[in-house]
Amino acid sequence: MHHDKKFAVVNPSKMCQPMGAVQALLGVKNTMPLIHGSQGCSTYMRFQLIRHFREPIEVASTSMNEKTVIYGGEFNLMKALKNITEKQSPDMIVVTSSCLTETIGDDMAGIIEKFKDANLDNELPVIIPVSTPSYVESHVEGYNRTIKALVEHLATPSVPNGKINIITGNISPADCKQVKDLLYQLNCDSIILTDTSENLDAPLTEETLSLYNEGTSIEEIEDTANSLGTISLSKHVDSAAIFLEKKFGVKSISGPLPLGFENTDQFVTSVCELGDLEIPESVEKDRGRLLDAMVDAHSYNFHRKVAIFGDPDFVSGMTRFTSELGMIPSVVCTGTESERFTEDVKLISKEKGINPVILAGGDLFDMHQAIKKAGADILIGNAYGASTAKEENIPLLRVGFPIFDRLGAQRISVLGYKGSIEFVDKITNTLLDFYYDEAGYEIVDEKTEEILREEGDEGFEEDFMSKEEI
Amino acid sequence: MEPVIETFESRKKHMCVKGEGLSIPVCDKASLPGTVTQRTCVFGGARIVLMPITDSIHLVHGPIGCAACTWDIRGSKSSREELYKKGCSTDLQEKDIVFGGEKKLFETVLELYNIYKPGAIFVYATCVSGVIGDDIKAVCKKSEDLTGCRVIPVQSEGFQDHNKTKGHWIGGDALLDYVIGTKEPEETTPFDINIVGEFNVAGDLWGIKPLLEEMGVNIISTISGDSHADEIAQAHRAKLNIVQCQKSSNYVARKMEKKYGIPFIKVNFFGLEQTTNSLREIADFFGDEEMIDRTEKIIERELMGVEDETQEYRERLEGKTVALYVGGNKAWSLVRAFEEVGMDVMMSGTKNGIKEDYERIKETVRDGTIIVDDANSTELARLLKKYKPNLLISGAKEKYISLKLGIPFCDFNHDRISAFAGFKGFVSFAKEVDASVSSPVFNLASKTLSKVSKTPKVGGDENAS
Repeated sequence: MHHDKKFAVVNPSKMCQPMGAVQALLGVKNTMPLIHGSQGCSTYMRFQLIRHFREPIEVASTSMNEKTVIYGGEFNLMKALKNITEKQSPDMIVVTSSCLTETIGDDMAGIIEKFKDANLDNELPVIIPVSTPSYVESHVEGYNRTIKALVEHLATPSVPNGKINIITGNISPADCKQVKDLLYQLNCDSIILTDTSENLDAPLTEETLSLYNEGTSIEEIEDTANSLGTISLSKHVDSAAIFLEKKFGVKSISGPLPLGFENTDQFVTSVCELGDLEIPESVEKDRGRLLDAMVDAHSYNFHRKVAIFGDPDFVSGMTRFTSELGMIPSVVCTGTESERFTEDVKLISKEKGINPVILAGGDLFDMHQAIKKAGADILIGNAYGASTAKEENIPLLRVGFPIFDRLGAQRISVLGYKGSIEFVDKITNTLLDFYYDEAGYEIVDEKTEEILREEGDEGFEEDFMSKEEI
Repeated sequence: MEPVIETFESRKKHMCVKGEGLSIPVCDKASLPGTVTQRTCVFGGARIVLMPITDSIHLVHGPIGCAACTWDIRGSKSSREELYKKGCSTDLQEKDIVFGGEKKLFETVLELYNIYKPGAIFVYATCVSGVIGDDIKAVCKKSEDLTGCRVIPVQSEGFQDHNKTKGHWIGGDALLDYVIGTKEPEETTPFDINIVGEFNVAGDLWGIKPLLEEMGVNIISTISGDSHADEIAQAHRAKLNIVQCQKSSNYVARKMEKKYGIPFIKVNFFGLEQTTNSLREIADFFGDEEMIDRTEKIIERELMGVEDETQEYRERLEGKTVALYVGGNKAWSLVRAFEEVGMDVMMSGTKNGIKEDYERIKETVRDGTIIVDDANSTELARLLKKYKPNLLISGAKEKYISLKLGIPFCDFNHDRISAFAGFKGFVSFAKEVDASVSSPVFNLASKTLSKVSKTPKVGGDENAS
């Protein structure tokens, strides 16, 4: 049963801008994100983040209510800045707006200036406003704007540092670590915007209950103006890189996400060109190991149909990688409307000879309808794909955000040669678990066989008839 | 008097110890701006009381975030439809904010009706739809007239109040104004009841319903766990309302009493004594001798065995302390159940309590119990560190604060994994509490390797080997 659906969103595959802002800020050292809005915004976002990372997450709220909505949020924002400064002594407070405070037209920058003027005698943290209206684009843009705001406010030219800036986009802490390890192997000094690797996969100590004492520091962000170049792993979060290029001549390279063989090659090439670096033996070996893993797995993956959903650069990267493995991406869906995404996937499709249904700005309802038509043997995406996978009787390989129904979301890794190796093993083993028996033979579904036989019979009949005609 | 913990001056009065002075903390005040509040918004409050209506579409009229972070989070189970689990939104865009979102809402309602033919469509207002002044009532009326499907406005603009309790009431009002009393039951019996404030989290309702049915009462509707809109529509014909979550749902029960003359009694199916008392009170209300007899037999039968089944757990839990920090109702309804497994409730608190809630807590807990209102994340961490309970009962947002401090934790909120209500539920309750409190992982307390050789195990359970 198919119905036209133009207006309703059913089972969203995107979140709003303030969520992206918070995701970006979780990798910044000793910083308090403050959402200027109703308290539900920060609480529900924390709820999503906490159940995904299984870590305590601190996001403050200006706790707007009816009165402050009528008279404007100045009082609450000033009060919030004061309370955070006094009780948490952070290095930085980043204030993000919400649909509510954007609509009532609060001038956050003006209010912050007023707060600073009123506290000339006190030592204050760095305070940066970011406009993140929830009704424009998606969390991906919120992430993008936040990194840009950090760099705009802080980047200061001094002496060249020989480093490369890496804007990660919303990737897992484990993937952040993969990227850092790869850069280390390449002998490349870097500034990571932003480094979630320690903050969101923390040991069991009560220190995790205060603001992060790891992650990207203010000094590092200031120093981004002096780097050799900036690589934005996700194309959709490259505004800060473009800013640095225009203002300070720091070269900007946008994407692709180093996911799979070719994309990681491209990333390594970009890094080596920017930094004038040699590719060490150890990286060649990891690359060889990825190829080895792909070859070992080839027969199980070949021509398996795969549906993919998530953030735009993740989905396009995964489309390329699964194609490299010999799989057939049949439906690729991102909740964010993006021409860049559509172009990327079209380019990959042409190169790889595939023809997936491309949903940019789609929801999981649209994706499910498309899967029913185009078919899929496996679904790759976050936990919200579980009901679709169950209905279609296909496995869900959980990658992305949020994953709240399995443990270890913070440790899922797909980037770089090493992360890609992990992924090849995981997807192939998932297919083995689902489609093969304990002896390793492919399970032939009786129903499918019947259909095949019927189709075959019809085919024979046609053949027979055509022979008769002759 | 020494404050319960160090915090903002204005916040100190939100914490007290029973027996010292007033025994009721200052409550129902706006959270301090800039703190990491554990509270949510009015929209959230309305959504959680209505979301368990399983045959209905729950449509959030706002930007995507309001729906994207709150769909399918209730942990409320269904024996029939799964429609309530869908995350539906009008996904308001900038142009809708400028020109108004009413047309988009109307089209969205029609689309959802055509796709799903639901029992009802609940339309939730959010902060922004309120500020731009969309008349969702008018749109609901228009689309209801066109489709013949109940389309129900829920005026739940998030910023309306600092306390999501108001959201519970708004959710209740939506039912009172648009659903209850709109359909007549085919048959009535002298023993018709509604179960109000039971949301079937983890299947709690299914631990209670068979007992009630065996007693001989006829359940017209549950408000709102595992329910259909059509069943709630007939709720006005009940002879009695029993109220489980008295935090969210006394409001509905009181209004039904006023409007339809239906009396209500407060029940509590957490714990053996409470379950027993609740069943007896229901039977006594009807005063039917046969029902009273049957009820006694049910109680006798069900209690048999529970003692044996829980003995192992009780042995391990005896004397352990527990802190409750919950939405409201469980701050008092769980106290006896913990006492029955041998544990001592040393702290009880809520995020959204109002004065009547704290009265209930005060009546229920022993002298010396810490009572806490609206503790933010820093305060909660300080409370746990200072008073070191053996267990924290709270929700998903508090879970890892507790665990990082090495304090065992049970989720009694949306993410609970087994049903705790009724007699069988009590066994699961004891089992799950034991699984947290008695786990050996919490005894590996030496946090740095370099200290292991010097310090013997600390904070260990004497039973642990």
